Amino acid sequence: MKTLLTLAWRLIADQKWSFLRGLALSFLVLAMGAALLGLSGWFVTAAAVAGISGLGLDFDFFRPSAGVRGLALGRAAARYGERLLTHDATLRALADLRLALMDGVARRPHEAQARLRGAEALNRLTSDVDALDGLLLRLVLPFLAGGMAQLAALGMLWWLEGEAIGIAVFLIYFFGAGFGLIWVARAARRDARAAETALQGIRRRALETMRARADLAIAGQLEEATARTLAEVEADALARRNLEALDRRVAAVIAATTALAGATALAIGGQMAAAGQITPARAAIGLFVALALAESVLLLRRGMAEIGRMQEAGARVRDLTDTPPRPVPEIPAGPADPQAPLLEARALSFARPGSTRPVFEDLSFTLRPGETLFLTGPSGAGKSTALAVLAGLMPPGSGTLSIEGRPLAQLPEPELRRHLTMVPQRSQLIGGSIAENLALALPADGALDEDAAWAALRAVALDEVIAGRGGLGAMLGEGGGGLSGGQAKRLALARAALRQPKVLLLDEPTEGLDPATARTTLTGLRALLPETGFVIVSHRSPDQAFATRSIALR
Amino acid sequence: MMSTAQDDPTPKMILDRIAAPVAGKLRMAGWLGIAAALVWPAQAALVGLVLGTLVAPGASPGLSPLAGAAGFLGLALLRILLDWQSQKLSANAAETVLRETRARLLSRAFRQASRVAALSPAELAALSAEKLAALEPWATRYRPAFLRARIVPVAFLILVATQSWAAAVILLIAGPLIPLFMALVGMAAQEASEKQMIEIGALNRLLIDRIAAITDLRLLGAEARSRADLEIKSDDLRIRTMAVLRVAFLSSTVLELFSAIGVAFMAVYVGFSLIGWMNFGTWGVKMTPAEGIFLLMIAPEFFQPLRDLAAAWHDRAAALAVASELDATEQAIDGAETMLGTGGAGHAPAIGALRWQGITIRPGAAAAPIALPDGTVAPGEAVAITGPSGAGKTTLLTALAGLIRPEAGSVHLGDLRLSDETADDWRAAFGWIPQSPRFPDASLRELITLNRPGDLEAALAAAQAAEVVAGLPGALDARLGDMGGGVSGGEARRLLIARAHYAQRPIVLADEPTADLDPETGAKIIAGLLALRARGTTLIVASHDPALIAAMDRSIALEAGA
Repeated sequence: MKTLLTLAWRLIADQKWSFLRGLALSFLVLAMGAALLGLSGWFVTAAAVAGISGLGLDFDFFRPSAGVRGLALGRAAARYGERLLTHDATLRALADLRLALMDGVARRPHEAQARLRGAEALNRLTSDVDALDGLLLRLVLPFLAGGMAQLAALGMLWWLEGEAIGIAVFLIYFFGAGFGLIWVARAARRDARAAETALQGIRRRALETMRARADLAIAGQLEEATARTLAEVEADALARRNLEALDRRVAAVIAATTALAGATALAIGGQMAAAGQITPARAAIGLFVALALAESVLLLRRGMAEIGRMQEAGARVRDLTDTPPRPVPEIPAGPADPQAPLLEARALSFARPGSTRPVFEDLSFTLRPGETLFLTGPSGAGKSTALAVLAGLMPPGSGTLSIEGRPLAQLPEPELRRHLTMVPQRSQLIGGSIAENLALALPADGALDEDAAWAALRAVALDEVIAGRGGLGAMLGEGGGGLSGGQAKRLALARAALRQPKVLLLDEPTEGLDPATARTTLTGLRALLPETGFVIVSHRSPDQAFATRSIALR
Repeated sequence: MMSTAQDDPTPKMILDRIAAPVAGKLRMAGWLGIAAALVWPAQAALVGLVLGTLVAPGASPGLSPLAGAAGFLGLALLRILLDWQSQKLSANAAETVLRETRARLLSRAFRQASRVAALSPAELAALSAEKLAALEPWATRYRPAFLRARIVPVAFLILVATQSWAAAVILLIAGPLIPLFMALVGMAAQEASEKQMIEIGALNRLLIDRIAAITDLRLLGAEARSRADLEIKSDDLRIRTMAVLRVAFLSSTVLELFSAIGVAFMAVYVGFSLIGWMNFGTWGVKMTPAEGIFLLMIAPEFFQPLRDLAAAWHDRAAALAVASELDATEQAIDGAETMLGTGGAGHAPAIGALRWQGITIRPGAAAAPIALPDGTVAPGEAVAITGPSGAGKTTLLTALAGLIRPEAGSVHLGDLRLSDETADDWRAAFGWIPQSPRFPDASLRELITLNRPGDLEAALAAAQAAEVVAGLPGALDARLGDMGGGVSGGEARRLLIARAHYAQRPIVLADEPTADLDPETGAKIIAGLLALRARGTTLIVASHDPALIAAMDRSIALEAGA
């Protein structure tokens, strides 16, 4: 519960005024609804009294009937405004939440990011954000507006009918909707977690069984794997049954609360009217207002059904948004030494946490401007890991690494990125235009220089392809969809080249390219960046003709 | 693509067919919900009598406030009970539909022939998990609401008309021609909700797109720039979404407005009738206070079923969409080949020569059939299947394992012929090393041993995979996960060769085991395979790697487009 409250507060804090306006209108809708029914009940009963006592001519019909019509129209208008305001505020708050999530992911360590980029993790992330859209709309706002409406009703009924009805109705709703719902929903989180675990279980089992079905069939385990998947289906059915039962109990508590409040108002008001303490018309107000207040708790039903899911999602979202800031180097780096090598590694090694064998060890080299260093080695020798360490994505286990004489670990992130960049083996483009993709290479406020862009594209032999697609404005789908693997790779190379880095690290830059294009691309990059030091990982031997030096990793 | 337009059932028909096994339960749930709604007039009558007695003491029939309140509460309990049963029944029906649909879809999808699946694993996972779940709110919310909306307003209208035709006319005007009203609201709401889904989906995709590229963004120092860009785009999407919502909310506001106006008009009409200024519409009798209160209390409940239906309309749209997708998928699975047998555990048959004759296979649903040359492999032989890409090397291997159903021809192992009946036993004689291994979420130890006894150390050593295991965090307890995280392609294949050593199956099929590997890693793979051969295992290897082919006893060449 604390998780949800903290999260709700964070969502509200950024959009305070939108939410306050929405809350005011939510309250107004409930209050007008109660007033409409209360006034109608009073009007009809008073009219009956007047009709029977023959005082019809003296009865002021105008104001009550105008009030009834006014409330009817006003309530509908307020409802429309309320929905617009609260949805707009929620969309804004969720947009902020998405940004906070992206910031949080950006601050995670490299290995953690790699896990978060998986389809499963991304799928869960977005479904978590979606789950939270009901937090304000279906829990916090109805709860606050409903509470305000109850308090207003308490005041009105106390004033019109005496404290007995007012307090009785208030207490019944307070305990019924307050404690009753909390008591019923206490198992919500457990049930929601079970349901989500089962759903993910179905996903995972379906995915892996389908992928490995040939393998499983030959091992004679396909039937077993199918049974395991169906066991997840069964677990999901059970979890859903529990959630449905919870929803049923919520509905029953709400209905019983409303009925009890109505019956109590009828009994007390009726007794008072029979004793002549209040008029029958006033007694009618209490009853109708008590019944109309049902709306203030009904709105909570959907929210209560989702509360467990929200708690689960909220905990995960907070975990990500609360990622601590990236560590800042404790010892600031001194000035660059122009005489020192661009990049210098001494006895670098790296081992995965929990592993006994280092991924690579004893890597030493110096790289000077204009040089091209090749890292070679069999598959699994740790070439990509070495490159990630050289790029400062992961700290080395031991050894030293410096760029222009300054230890890499002492450089602040922006400074490091100004001098050094890398194109990973599976580099990612983003949805948007070619220009937008290229502009990612520029400083935050820099505009893309078209000539430079075309020069970079020409260097990787992509200029004709892009021109054929309509130039820099051509749109790409998500993840750079629409380009072939080789084209996407070359666009990523051009993007990195636009940064004019002093050190450029390339992981399998020619993968997926035919030999001629591979040669053109590497030659083009070298011509475009004559002073840059390249470190290239490639398992294609023809590429090595470009190497100043090669180092083999074992 | 599919069948012709006139054969295509509408999504609604498909949905009804899916729900057919529980149609009775759903109908019963609907009627219980209707019964619950119909308790309200009795409650309203009690309240009317109590207030009527207060207004005109001595009126008959009279009812004291306490007795009235007790009756009101008792009826409310009855209503809660009926609602409870209704919901329980529809939840039960939803559970049955969901469970059976998922079980049917998954078991059939898993038995599709290798390489010719009608749907991708990711599509199957999404459909069977989240998407099919949309059937539940359809059954628990939309169906009962739909039935209530058809019956309850009509029943209330008749009840009201017995008291006052004028009051009935007010309700009829406020909720004009109910079906039309519903259809209009429904259409507007559906259109808007579909658009909204698209927009919200776009926001999510934007976030996914950026997070997927987060390493690149960091390397380019573009985190701030990309964030600012995301902010602008989110804002733009929000503005467009709000434009859609303005329309969507308008339609529900119309409902609210009509119901509020209905209540207001009813109050004014009843009030004026009771004062005595209006004397029409009550079948010539003067309206009593009790009747007036009754009419006033019925009015809001007359509109409630319509509001419930509008709220559940989105559930209908979602269920219709998933029903269509399910139907298309099931038809595609129907049209696709299945593997032979069920994939269960079998008892390995006696080993003899592996012979295949006259095999013709369609490698994909849309592909032309290819005829494969006959062949025989003696026990203990090591044979390479060679030929250019597309000649059917992998197809032949899968056919030998009974994973794909040939259009013609036969495969024998000694005297045993491969068929649906023998396939599970047949496969117990085979080991399998696919080109791109996929690992389920289990420990490495389980992956290699399949929980059977044997000498794990020796198997790892023979496959030259011990060093691969040593490099993994947790060694044999490491979980590789879906993408084989932590091991390279060559390492993954060495682990599978270790599994083949461990299982000691008499025949091992390997598909391009050295493809895309550097020569050094390739040599380790070949050594692992030859170690299998040295212990008497029959090896059949599809490859175009000269080093591997040379290491085999002989080769069978397939021709392109044979």
